[in-house]
Amino acid sequence: MPVNLPGLVEHLRKIAGRDAVLDRPEDLMLYEYDAGIRKSTPGAVVFPQNTEQVSQIMRLATALNVAVVPRGAGTGLSGGSIPQEGGLVIAFSRMNRILEVDVENQRATVRPGVVNLQLSEHVAHLGLYFAPDPSSQKACTIGGNVAENSGGPHTLLHGVTVNHVTGVEVVLPSGEIVYFGGKAAESYGFDMTGFMVGSEGTVGIVTAITVKLLRKPEKIATLLGVFESVDDAALTVSAITAAGITPAALEMLDGWTLRTVEAFCHAGYPLDAGAVLLIELEGLREAVEEQAVAVTEVCLAQKAREVRRAKDEEERALLWKGRKMAFAALGRVTPSYYTQDGVVPRSQIPAVMRHIGNVAKKYDLTIGNIFHAGDGNLHPLILFDMRNAEQFERVLSASTEILEFCIQCGGSITGEHGVGMEKRDLMSRLFTEEDLDVMISLRNAFNGRDILNPQKIFPMPRMCREITGPSQNPVLMQEGM
Amino acid sequence: MSTATVPTRFAADFRAICGAEHVTEDPAQMQAWNILGIVPALAVTPASADEVAGILRFANEHGLSVVPAGGFTRQQVGNLPPQIDVLLFTTRLTAVEHYDVGDLTVGIGAGCTVAQLSAMVAKDGLFFAGDPAQPGRSTIGGLLATGLYGPLRHGYGGLRDYCIGVRFVTGDGRKGKGGGRVVKNVAGYDMMKLFIGSQGTLGIITSASFKLFPAPRQTRTFVAFFPSATEALQFRSQVLRSPLDPICLELVSPQAHELLVPGSPAGAGWSICVRAAGSETVLARYRTELGPAVVREMEGANEQGFWRALEDFSLLAAERHPRSLLISMTLPVRDVQPVLNEVSAVAESNHFSFAAIGRVGIAHLLISLWQAPDAEVSLVSFVNTVSGLRNRLPRDVSMAVLHCPSEARHHISAWGPMPTDLESMRAVKMALDSKDILNRGRFLF
Repeated sequence: MPVNLPGLVEHLRKIAGRDAVLDRPEDLMLYEYDAGIRKSTPGAVVFPQNTEQVSQIMRLATALNVAVVPRGAGTGLSGGSIPQEGGLVIAFSRMNRILEVDVENQRATVRPGVVNLQLSEHVAHLGLYFAPDPSSQKACTIGGNVAENSGGPHTLLHGVTVNHVTGVEVVLPSGEIVYFGGKAAESYGFDMTGFMVGSEGTVGIVTAITVKLLRKPEKIATLLGVFESVDDAALTVSAITAAGITPAALEMLDGWTLRTVEAFCHAGYPLDAGAVLLIELEGLREAVEEQAVAVTEVCLAQKAREVRRAKDEEERALLWKGRKMAFAALGRVTPSYYTQDGVVPRSQIPAVMRHIGNVAKKYDLTIGNIFHAGDGNLHPLILFDMRNAEQFERVLSASTEILEFCIQCGGSITGEHGVGMEKRDLMSRLFTEEDLDVMISLRNAFNGRDILNPQKIFPMPRMCREITGPSQNPVLMQEGM
Repeated sequence: MSTATVPTRFAADFRAICGAEHVTEDPAQMQAWNILGIVPALAVTPASADEVAGILRFANEHGLSVVPAGGFTRQQVGNLPPQIDVLLFTTRLTAVEHYDVGDLTVGIGAGCTVAQLSAMVAKDGLFFAGDPAQPGRSTIGGLLATGLYGPLRHGYGGLRDYCIGVRFVTGDGRKGKGGGRVVKNVAGYDMMKLFIGSQGTLGIITSASFKLFPAPRQTRTFVAFFPSATEALQFRSQVLRSPLDPICLELVSPQAHELLVPGSPAGAGWSICVRAAGSETVLARYRTELGPAVVREMEGANEQGFWRALEDFSLLAAERHPRSLLISMTLPVRDVQPVLNEVSAVAESNHFSFAAIGRVGIAHLLISLWQAPDAEVSLVSFVNTVSGLRNRLPRDVSMAVLHCPSEARHHISAWGPMPTDLESMRAVKMALDSKDILNRGRFLF
């Protein structure tokens, strides 16, 4: 593929503009990684400014059989935006406009490069916001959220990205521009919009997105339940669910993690606790007050040492700051960490937390836990030093062992980060050959040559078999490409 | 009535797959199972996903057309099938795959009825949010395939929001699955989305998993009447802008009100029905917030009966007016008012009366149109009414004709233009059912 690149770069410059293509090694280095652990250097990066350019780029790439990987902010944790070595990256940082805010329909239409938090800030004066709130929301893009079907703490009540997308404009690998859905909540026909969200860029490239905007709740109560042990906190999560209360968010930090975070940003977490639960309730004032009482009772019945409630917005912001800054805090105590994203049925949280503790002992690793407890979505953070190859092997084994436990108790290998490259080989533990074959036939219906986001989602041996040789497009050969 | 014939050697093959007692060709029975007058050749009732796969592989190999069936509540919806070789009932697929009370999740066979599932989880204080018409007959598989929902859609979301896993057999006989049994899961393609509302044209759903909800301890319905749809919809917008968070927010037209509450005074006006769940304190807040527009409150059996009738609106309308149109529309919230204006204008010019209900907070309308008592309505009027409406609808609106007089069926397409690219939908269909054996001719292709 690199053979074609000089001609490719010239064509890309004609399509997107002279300043819209990078091909110098020192520039390309910035696009070889995401927030996960893999690296691979692209042959070129192009920055389209509109859908028509994306379409032309896709036509060109398909004709030349150059692998294409779309990229938002590169905050993903599963290797979803890792390019193929020598392939093409389409970066969306210049397609970052909010196209429309439709207050009456509670919809916004945005380009994929719009940053998640920017949208909420943009509509805040209207009393509206965009609900999916990944921890990286200050940086991650809505296009990336759509590709990975991202979540966040508040998806416990409001659902993940797919629950908030009603329409998309898509460029297919053929270069064709198509539309799925619109502003209506649902429409007749196949739910192609729902299918696109979370397809990790393997079906088409989303170039415009219509999302729901929610009204800000009248009342928010933020509670901090303080526990002596992880076990007590974990049992409380199950008890809250079983009591029929659905908080807006229900997050757990174990003792090690909360102390690390506290040292970094002074959120006010008690340093001697075994674990804390950060519980947020929202809605009608009266309903929130009742739920706050009920949640406090459940926590105390489950041996909480105390339950604090944020007195004002400032205290609330502080409690959340600790949660949202946790990943940054970890950077101070470890050169690297590996974040997992397994899911278990909520009643299994006590068991899985014990299992993670045992895995840490078995492999002699430090594992912190800060996660979306309310929907059973774990984020064990395994600390390591990249320079220690032997340790890294232990990290990978520990990680696989944790995910296998999730699968055994009926869970999943990913709740919100996507499969990407990182977990593709575990897919055959969740799905049969035939299940995967059905999904691959859908991918092939749009992306038959696996040119768009190759080597993502599906286990590798299967992928290799399906990659075909370079095309011999007569038109481009005439053009000397 | 036309009949299809399958050579008996095929019937023997189906008997070999499902057992002789689960294959029938009885003429009277087949006649009773006609779909828009088309009589199936035989019916099979497999007991497992493997048997479904066996049947579909066989049908695929021999190019037989297959119609999936559950409780037969919505089989008359859609375009005329050219021929039905095999009617495949899911009614023996009723096993509970998992029921995790503490996790608020359940996985159940496609042939289980909505009422059975609701009753099972109600024992544990839980609640399944699907609310189709005829829950005693509607099956889980049919609910998903038709993408049906009722008034609870407002507060609990749609099937696409709370269906967390699905197992199916594709038209070409492959067993597949999407999702799983946990409430948050992004591993693999979201097959649930493709199958919900696919009208049984991609595969046959064999089981599905759902999020459940805690059953509300008490509910109350507040009803406000208005002289016009415009004023009713203004009130709707006021509720949407308020901090209130009702579980249902329904518009009921004057004619619809009369259908739902027999004997209610004519000319009561357009109503907005707000159903709230919560403690007495919470409900009191609703009363204050909704203000003096509310003239009636319902609770208990009264309230249950009202919403039950509303869920069965399409049935009630078809019973009262057999020669009628039933139209379902999904639209952006802001378009409800202009679309109702168009409905009113088109109805008037074709001498029709209409009754409308709808979840006007998310914007889904159900409209029944029938011949005005003193008007001479011909077939042409039905056709003109549908085409008149379709021509006037704003973009992003999709409209289905769920019911029309049988003689009009040849002239009225059940599905109009859709906002989603047709060729992409065709690519999906070809990927899963390349020989087009499932519900051939009835949906998009």
